[in-house]
Amino acid sequence: MNERSEFLHPERSSDNPSWDIITGMEINGVGVVSAISALLGIAFGHVVVRWLEFHIERLWLAILAFVWGGFVLEGLSLAVNPLYLKISLGIWGMTLLWDAIELFRQQRRVQRGHAPANPGNPRHRRFLDDPSLSATPVDRLRDEFPSLDG
Amino acid sequence: MEAFGVWLGFLTLLTIGLGFPLVILIERWLGWLWWPYLLGLGVFLAIASLFVENTWGSAWLGLLGATCAWGATELKKQARRAELGWFPFHPQKIDPPFKEVIRKWKAPSL
Repeated sequence: MNERSEFLHPERSSDNPSWDIITGMEINGVGVVSAISALLGIAFGHVVVRWLEFHIERLWLAILAFVWGGFVLEGLSLAVNPLYLKISLGIWGMTLLWDAIELFRQQRRVQRGHAPANPGNPRHRRFLDDPSLSATPVDRLRDEFPSLDG
Repeated sequence: MEAFGVWLGFLTLLTIGLGFPLVILIERWLGWLWWPYLLGLGVFLAIASLFVENTWGSAWLGLLGATCAWGATELKKQARRAELGWFPFHPQKIDPPFKEVIRKWKAPSL
């Protein structure tokens, strides 16, 4: 086992041969950890981006917070040693940076009426009052679609 | 390898990027009822990644699995977008096996 392999698979050090005994072959958890981290990151971003864009008046505050959080997580990913933690932090940090862009994109969806506007949010109120935009408080994706739901 | 997590973060963004056309094309030509098959493919790829010894290969297979699993939750919403005219609508779909059974299930969505 060379040094790089030891770094990537600390659980497979010669003191801990349990993986090989149980499975008869080496199991590589990197993919599953990446998959679960990515799914959790996407799910979190999906819900939180929509919620924040809907409720917050000053969107740039949320965008700054996401950019800051993304860089902090990337920094932590560089600093920590356990491989699986390094992977999760790296993926979540990059997801947060993408979510900062998604906050802009979500605002554009609201302006086009592709996502519901919040009449109680002054920023959205301006979209609703602007005749050049098609903003609407209705969540059109939640409408009834007899061809799909029937 | 200090930056492995950071590079994997980039790879995650690129792989999720593949998910957008994947969902759009599957919905357009096959239909949203294929979601259980896409979910199954995602789980299969993530499990298969356990047996890939190459670290990058395993990571990417896992990410591809996550993208497919997430795509399964997006298919029905994409069908609604197509019905609303936000995306091109193609009326002829290729039905999946066990279509009527799947229709009774609640499609996952977030």
